[in-house]
Amino acid sequence: MSLTINTRINGKSIRSSAEASTSLLEFLRDTLEYKGTKLCCNTGECGACTVIYNGKPINSCVTMAADANGAEIITIEGLANGDELHPVQQAFIDTGAVQCGYCTPGYIISVKALLDRTTKPTAEDIEEAVSGNICRCTGYNKIVDAIHLAADRIAGRA
Amino acid sequence: MDYFEPKTLSEALGLLAKYGEQAKVIAGGTDVMVDIKYKEEPGCLVNIKKIPGLDAIRENGGSLRVGPLVTIRDIETNSIVRERLPVFWEACHQFASLQIRNTATVGGNICRASPSGETLAPLLVLEAKGKLAFADGEKSEPFTSFFQGPGKSSVGAKGLLTEIEIPYPSAGSKSIYLKHAVRGAMDIAMVGVAVLVTPDAANNGLQDVRIGLGAVAPTPIRATKTETMLRGKPFSAALVKEAAQMAASESSPISDQRSSAENRRWIVEALTRRGLQQSWQAATGKEVAS
Repeated sequence: MSLTINTRINGKSIRSSAEASTSLLEFLRDTLEYKGTKLCCNTGECGACTVIYNGKPINSCVTMAADANGAEIITIEGLANGDELHPVQQAFIDTGAVQCGYCTPGYIISVKALLDRTTKPTAEDIEEAVSGNICRCTGYNKIVDAIHLAADRIAGRA
Repeated sequence: MDYFEPKTLSEALGLLAKYGEQAKVIAGGTDVMVDIKYKEEPGCLVNIKKIPGLDAIRENGGSLRVGPLVTIRDIETNSIVRERLPVFWEACHQFASLQIRNTATVGGNICRASPSGETLAPLLVLEAKGKLAFADGEKSEPFTSFFQGPGKSSVGAKGLLTEIEIPYPSAGSKSIYLKHAVRGAMDIAMVGVAVLVTPDAANNGLQDVRIGLGAVAPTPIRATKTETMLRGKPFSAALVKEAAQMAASESSPISDQRSSAENRRWIVEALTRRGLQQSWQAATGKEVAS
C-alpha cells in the first residue's frame, strides 16, 4: 500500500511516496537518494542511520517512512553551508576522529543534536549523546576530542 | 500490507476488532519495524500516534498518569518522575540509547510484554495499573496480572493500553532499579531487579517490601514469597542473604546467548541483596546490621 509522504528534509519541502513497510532510512537512501545516512545493523543498535527528526536524534532504520509525513528531518547532507563544513564535520577531520568513516555521518548528527542542546557538554552529556553510536576503528578518544573542539568553536572558545 | 492512521480511539479499536490477529499496532516502531524487516509483515499496521490525548504526563491526586505514547525520553526528562518515582526513572535512564529513547514509547515497552522489558519490573513494584480499552468497553488492570507470557498480555489483539497509572509510594519508602548487562548502552538486561522498601516506624524491620524481577521468567514477576518472608522481620544481613537466595529460587530463567540460566540466578541473588541493602540504607540511613 503506497502512502503519500509530505516532508521537509534539510529545509526543503519534498513530496514523494513510500510503502507502509518502508523505513525512514530506506526512504531517504533509496527513494530520495540521500546516501549519506548509512545502513548498518538495521535494528536500531549501531547509530549509523541517525538523523535529526523534529529536533531529536533518532535511528531512521526503525522509524516508519510514514512518520516523515509533516516532520522536519535533518540528514548529514544538510549540515555544510555550501563549501563550508559544519563545525562538527570540521572538528572530526581536524582531530582525526574519522578512520573508515562508515559510522561518521551518524556520529556527526548525534553530536550536532547534542551541541544544539548545549555548547558546554559535560562528560556525561557526551557519553549519553553518542552511546547509541558504535565505532569499530577509532577507540572513541578522538571522537570525544572532536566533540570538545566543535563545542569550543561553536561557542567561540577556540 | 494495509496501513491505517486512526484519528480517534474508537476508530482504532474498530480496526483492531475487524482485523484481529492480522493487525499490528505500531507507535514508536523500534520493535515492530525490526519484526517487519526480519520476521514477517503483519496483514495491516495500525499506527496509533495520530490519536490525540495519549501522549501526556499528568499528576492526579496521589498518582502519575502517563499516556502510552509518551516516549521513554519524555519520562527520563520529567522532573516529577525523577523525584517521586526514581525506580521508574532509573529504568528509563538505562533504556537502550538516546536515539531509541527519543522514539520508543512506554506503552510499546509494556504491550510488547517482553520478559526483559526495561520498565516492567519497576512498574510491578510501584503497583501501577493499566487502563485498557476494547471495542465493547474498558477496564483497569494491575500490571501484576497483565503479563501472561512472552509477548502475551491482557491487551490481546483487540485492545489498546490507553493510560498507565502509577501511585506514588508512601513517604518513607525508597526504591532502586539494578540492571545487569554486558554493555552499558544498547544492551538488553540479562537480569533487572527493582526493589522498594518501606521501613517500619522504628526503622527496625520492613513494613512493606516489593521485589520485581525482569528477564528471569516468562514474564516480569514479583518475588512474592520472598516479600512475605521479609515483612515484619528485623532487618539484618542474614535476613537479606536468605531473601536474596529465595528470590533467586523464585526466578525461572532460560539460557540464551546473553547468559546461562544458572548465571542469571546468581545475578538475581546478587542484585536482590544489593537492592535490599541499598534501598534500606537510603530509607533508614543505617548500614545493614550483620
